Amino acid sequence: MSYLDEELKIALRREEPPADFADRVLARLNQAPEPSWWERLSLLMRPPRLQWVAVTVMVSVLLPSAGVLYRREMQYRAEGERAKQQLLFAVHVAGSKLHQAQKKVLDAGRMDSRI
Amino acid sequence: MTAISMGGLAVRVQEVPQRAAQVALPAFADIVREHQGMVFSLAWHFLRDRALAEELAQEVFLELHRHLAGIQSPEHLVFWLRKVASRRCIDQTRRRAFWPKFGLDEIPEPVAKNRQNDPMLSRTLNKLVASLPEKARAVVILRYQEDLDPSDIAQVLDMPVATVKSHLQRSLEMLRDKLARSVGEIAL
Repeated sequence: MSYLDEELKIALRREEPPADFADRVLARLNQAPEPSWWERLSLLMRPPRLQWVAVTVMVSVLLPSAGVLYRREMQYRAEGERAKQQLLFAVHVAGSKLHQAQKKVLDAGRMDSRI
Repeated sequence: MTAISMGGLAVRVQEVPQRAAQVALPAFADIVREHQGMVFSLAWHFLRDRALAEELAQEVFLELHRHLAGIQSPEHLVFWLRKVASRRCIDQTRRRAFWPKFGLDEIPEPVAKNRQNDPMLSRTLNKLVASLPEKARAVVILRYQEDLDPSDIAQVLDMPVATVKSHLQRSLEMLRDKLARSVGEIAL
């Protein structure tokens, strides 16, 4: 056995926990057992529960608020779409007018050159 | 039915498995007292935090109490405790990102060269061991605290013997290198 082995054995020798360790383990054993997940779930299901009241209140407040926000968003989008269509139409009209004006200018130019 | 005899008390755990908790409680305290040093030390050497080690050791015994009906012999009990304590230590380390609490460079260099029991060297070794990756740490602690050979460690940690040997070899090399750098004159 090497020196390091010896030193590791010394360094990692067993140590005792505090004197009342076993008593504390037993005390924890005597406490009510922690409920399992399904027990916790069934506790939540048992009416009336504060959690359910809170959830109901939150749902009844949040759902209408969400509905209002959704409708407002839809209105904004519709208005935006309408404005976009109007803008596109205006650009189209302006473009065609510009095209006509350009054509007239070119025609006038050609006539001048013939004269 | 299987009876586990601990300090003169027989825990007839499989007679009434559903009510093992009530039946075994008086003898269970003796089981705790007999094995608390082993379980606590595994956690203490692994975590280097006394409060955390005590909490973890308590959890191991509480789990033992829940699984008492499945324990078949005193040897099985010791094996079970080592296995559960090691697994919980590894889980604890991963969950709380405990490692590396001690960087290798943060560990003070040992200055004494005395081959007798050197508390400073022991402390340094403890910290070096605590800085190992969790599986390698578990292997080293089980090897030197519990004096288990690689095949026993492999069973406790559910890993191949070759992996245990590899962990052990690499860990010892690392520990030897670190110590040799600081106490070169000592023949390691």
